[in-house]
Amino acid sequence: MSRAMTLAVAFVATIALILGGAAGIGYLTADGADSPPDLENDHYLDEELISDGTPGEADVTMSSTGPAQMVLIDAGAADGAMPVDPLALLGLGADGAADRDVRPLVNALIENGHEVRIHTPDPDAAQRPPADGEPTALGADLAEADAFVTFRTEYADEEVEDIEVFVENDGHVLLASDASAEFDGPGAASLDSALGVTTHPGYVYNMEEHDLNYQRVYAEPDIDSPITRDVDRVVFQSATPVGASTTQGTLRPIDGSQLSTTRESTEEPLLVHQGNVVIAGDSAFMSPENAQRVDNDVLIGNLADFLVENDRDAGTQPPEGDADPPSEPVPPEGELPDDGLPEEEPPG
Amino acid sequence: MPAKKYIEAFSMRQQVAIVVVAAAVVAGLFVPAVYGTTNEPADTVAVVEVEGPVNAALADDVETELTEVRNNDSVGAVVLKIDTSGGQPVASERMYKSVQRTSDEMPVIASVQDISASGGYYAMAPADDIYVLPTSTVGSIGLNAPAPSSSPPAEGPSGPDKTGSNEIEQWAQQQTLADTFVDAMMAERGDEFEMSREEVAHADVYLGTEAIHNGFADEIGSLDEAVHEAAERANMRTYEVDTRETGMDGGLPILIQTDDELVAVYSNDPGYADIEPMPFAYVYDGAVPHIDTIERFAADDVEAAVDATDATGGEDATDDEANGTEESDGTDDVPSLSREVSP
Repeated sequence: MSRAMTLAVAFVATIALILGGAAGIGYLTADGADSPPDLENDHYLDEELISDGTPGEADVTMSSTGPAQMVLIDAGAADGAMPVDPLALLGLGADGAADRDVRPLVNALIENGHEVRIHTPDPDAAQRPPADGEPTALGADLAEADAFVTFRTEYADEEVEDIEVFVENDGHVLLASDASAEFDGPGAASLDSALGVTTHPGYVYNMEEHDLNYQRVYAEPDIDSPITRDVDRVVFQSATPVGASTTQGTLRPIDGSQLSTTRESTEEPLLVHQGNVVIAGDSAFMSPENAQRVDNDVLIGNLADFLVENDRDAGTQPPEGDADPPSEPVPPEGELPDDGLPEEEPPG
Repeated sequence: MPAKKYIEAFSMRQQVAIVVVAAAVVAGLFVPAVYGTTNEPADTVAVVEVEGPVNAALADDVETELTEVRNNDSVGAVVLKIDTSGGQPVASERMYKSVQRTSDEMPVIASVQDISASGGYYAMAPADDIYVLPTSTVGSIGLNAPAPSSSPPAEGPSGPDKTGSNEIEQWAQQQTLADTFVDAMMAERGDEFEMSREEVAHADVYLGTEAIHNGFADEIGSLDEAVHEAAERANMRTYEVDTRETGMDGGLPILIQTDDELVAVYSNDPGYADIEPMPFAYVYDGAVPHIDTIERFAADDVEAAVDATDATGGEDATDDEANGTEESDGTDDVPSLSREVSP
């Protein structure tokens, strides 16, 4: 090898060695070759995270063995003001619109030999008010009934009077209201006033303990009463607090429950029994699915007993077309005006 | 030759030594460049935009960008520029996981612009710090879904749950979806939140001024300040900012509430294929317009256009918009879009 060749090889080898070393060190110390981080997300793996969706079972039984009674049901607007079935707006299929919401109660009544009749609201009633002395369609139905279950909160003045007379003449009434009723048209105050009960704006929720949703709250009886017999706990959904001046049995939300309008804890009852009237702040607690939750089925059975255990003799007691004018209603707890709501045009 | 004379004055060994030293000097000049190409110093803060409704397209882009960021040695820190009211649960989770992994490797700071709520909050929660502006909106940790309801039996499907399961099972699934979100946020920021899990699950939103006190955010600061903080945490003396856009152009899809559900609309003039229902969503409800509102204002546009053509009634349309109430008694003045465009 010539001298020049030797020197060239030495030059190139030196450069290659130094630059190769620099590249190698750079590569070895680069961050990109790290293995992926091992991230733990234990909060996704907690088995308690998965809510139990087992539907449960219902067994609605009645203890009453009295004679057959006729129970009238007005399921015209079970869920707020609008019938569930659009056909009901046309007066078609109204009896089927909320059939599910009341079916466990209806079945218990039928199985025990009682008669159930559905009152179908007349969509044109507002345009064709009954003539003087002529009974309203509801009044005519109530005249034959021993008990009345309603999911409606809005009635014409004449109908409210009929319901009031019905209650005064030993008819038993179950009113299933809900938190959306306060958002409907002129409001439910007239009926509440006639029945001597109150509803309070807002819904009750519970973030700590609930049935699969914060608005599905548990309620428990505070005193022993026929309505709450054998009931440990029931579920109400989006329920509004209800009240009455004197109560014979109540279901109150459990600890941790709060009212939507105040965001404060509340113990106001969600179901109240006063004399011939029971008002519930929820219209969904009797649906088949909810009947299967905790003791809702027991409560439904007790309510069925309440409806048929009355002193009413439908054949001899008003309301009828020639019934006496009703007496003044007793304002509950002095919270409502004596004359109810001012007369307003119904919403268009 | 004098040169040859000089060379021959050194022995062979001395000549080799001189060449080696010369080669080392030359190589030394190139060492920084060679080292830099294989181990590039981090001098870039990547600003990854997370804007518009959270959906699969946005999650795709955010994942791609953050993966590239992690593999790019020149990027030493990330700032998430967030402006979203949320969207699909899975897309939110994908971004959450991607941000979490990135945050494990380098400083990540979230900079909230107008709003980072629900699914948007989910995505940015693993960031080291959340920067908000005083009137930014953050929070809404929860699920948006309609109440399950039973429906008549559908004849034909192979199983009872093929077209919607039992009402109670749906309630349970929705609660699990909500709890998944809340638990993840408690895991990420439970130490920062100045409230209980139940209060977090109320799904409230907070302004920036409130959020820095209740733990939903860490600092009041702009995007620039977030970028600077990220660079400092990555020990960059000087830095460059590399902004990476994500999601579909024009901020699509548009989220719209109907009476029953939330829908994502993927076109300003949507056909059937451009509408996607979102039965479950991590969305801040207050930032999503109702279809009636959109129709009402769109109807005004149509009416104004018709009026302009007729050269009459232009003022009526303006009045309607000024009144701006849904319960307007002038229903004749505020027709629905369908009424207006129907022949």
